[in-house]
Amino acid sequence: MTEAPLISVENLTRHYKVGEEEVRALDGVSFDVMRGEWVAVVGQSGSGKSTLMNLIGALDTPSGGSYRINGHDVEKLSDDQLADLRNNEIGFVFQTFQLLSRSTALANVELPLVYRGLPRKERKERAVKALEAVGLANRMHHKPNELSGGQRQRVAIARALVGNPSLLLADEPTGNLDSATGEEIIRLFGELHQRGHTILLVTHEPRLAARCPRAIRLSDGKVVADGPGADVASLGAPPVPSPHPGAAA
Amino acid sequence: MKTVRRAWAELVEGLRIAFGALAGARLRTFLTTLGIVIGVSTVITIVAIIQGLDRSFEEQIQFLGAHTLYVDRQPWIQSDDTWWMYRNRQKISVTELKAVQRESQLALSVAPMVGIRGKVARGGVELESVVLRGTTEEYLNANGGAVQAGRFLVSSDVELARPAIVLGTDVMDRLFPDEPAAAVIGKRVLVAGRPFQVVGVLERQGQLLGMPLDNVAVMPYPTFGRIFGAQRNMVLSVAAPPGKIADLESELTPILRRARHVQPGKADDFAFNRQEQFLKLYKQLTSALYGMAVGVGLITLIVGGIGIMNIMLVSVHERTREIGVRRALGARRSTILVQFLIESAAVAALGGAVGTALGLGVAQLVALLSPLAAAATPSAIVFGIAFSTATGLLFGIWPAWRAANLDPVEALRYE
Repeated sequence: MTEAPLISVENLTRHYKVGEEEVRALDGVSFDVMRGEWVAVVGQSGSGKSTLMNLIGALDTPSGGSYRINGHDVEKLSDDQLADLRNNEIGFVFQTFQLLSRSTALANVELPLVYRGLPRKERKERAVKALEAVGLANRMHHKPNELSGGQRQRVAIARALVGNPSLLLADEPTGNLDSATGEEIIRLFGELHQRGHTILLVTHEPRLAARCPRAIRLSDGKVVADGPGADVASLGAPPVPSPHPGAAA
Repeated sequence: MKTVRRAWAELVEGLRIAFGALAGARLRTFLTTLGIVIGVSTVITIVAIIQGLDRSFEEQIQFLGAHTLYVDRQPWIQSDDTWWMYRNRQKISVTELKAVQRESQLALSVAPMVGIRGKVARGGVELESVVLRGTTEEYLNANGGAVQAGRFLVSSDVELARPAIVLGTDVMDRLFPDEPAAAVIGKRVLVAGRPFQVVGVLERQGQLLGMPLDNVAVMPYPTFGRIFGAQRNMVLSVAAPPGKIADLESELTPILRRARHVQPGKADDFAFNRQEQFLKLYKQLTSALYGMAVGVGLITLIVGGIGIMNIMLVSVHERTREIGVRRALGARRSTILVQFLIESAAVAALGGAVGTALGLGVAQLVALLSPLAAAATPSAIVFGIAFSTATGLLFGIWPAWRAANLDPVEALRYE
């Protein structure tokens, strides 16, 4: 029973030129993610996890190595094909929600389907369903500034789910929420995982990573640990032996 | 099918976003479109006034019959440096009149016209500078026009050189204020100090380029000759059957050459004048005005377009994150490009529509408050809106291109 992995990252590198210097934000990262997994990517800021997220989200292209998602060789795709891939395969959840402020919750959730070219009626039906699934059926016609932080993030999750993507890609989804609301959102991710969604969650909080079945720890652009969430999270428990953690980054 | 549906969905979404964004920034939209509004309204006003002038000129020129040739020793429309060529030409006289009357097959009627400005008086009223015209009973047939009261000259008036006179409405109104035309018939007036009997009053003809056509008094040409001298230059009005005006000209040329003893091989020493030439001259004059309108229009559209480009660049900058979000959710570069093009075209079209309406309003106002007529054709309206929309598209390209080429990662991170 050898199922192909949903995500296959091999020796992935991403270099930036900053002036004369070359920064190796990702330096040969390899891992697979199977369908239905819930994986946390943890690391200090500057460890390369944002770069990795941008590559996995097909927002950026690697300097070297290969990345396959659901059978697509992402590094070989054109800009338009990348846009279509993001539309079809990936659902983004951002730390700052990234909702369009002038549009209602419903219109925000419909947006990925607009770019997929679905008829209006079908778009609406699916968007309503997605909002119901995150418990916001009664907030559909509110604009983001009329919603609480937790509700906004639920709208964003509904928007990520509406297109039935193969991967839910969340970047610090609780970073802008108070702990109680953050807990709700994490529980929602847990439910989604139960229902079979594949989730990749990028975070700097070991506490969050500990709750995921699997976690990958990045440091200086390399994978330094990959295993059960609790184990990987505890590796970083005494974060950095510095009295000023911020300065160490 | 899917591509079409996607394009349609994106277009609708683009329009929705555009009007959402415009409605969200009303003051800015207003200021942005102001340039286009002013430009388009200026051009529409100018064009409407020119088109009004065209129409009224065409109405005015009708008094020069469309099917009438005016034979004179010189062309009525001359360039500045050629007038001396005609100065020493032999005058047109009764000889030519008789030759044309005798020999022309095509001419429907022929009337001579001699003219001078002079005094017409009655009782205590004296009018200076009335156009005194000598002609024959054929005058109305050759030139058009009609009498509203009494009769026109008859052949016996001409043969006997009677002191009979037909007044234009302006002359009648000033000599006989408040009297109906019928009451004027049979009254006596003094022309250049000599007594005349009023036999008829002409219909009102209006004016040509500001010159009143009704300040006229018409008498038999032999009578005119006795008072003012018979050696004056004549103009012959020759009416042609509809569509035969060119044929008439070819027929008259040899008749006139023979009558005037023009040697073979020498150029004609007379000229045919017609309504069409005035129209041509007029078109030349107004084409300069049109050129000016186009110039003003282009400049203001460019200025307005730059305004739109500026505001679109600001808008792209402000909405960087929105662009990033859309790209993340699957919008292609072309989608973003089209979205911003729609927005700039919509702003410009809005400005164009407002400008067109404003221009038409100003033109109507001008028409109301001044003797200038104003007429707007549907084409002016279509052009006004189409050109401003095109300006919006043109000047929207660069901002839209910048929006489309933003790096999604950078755009999402933008604060």
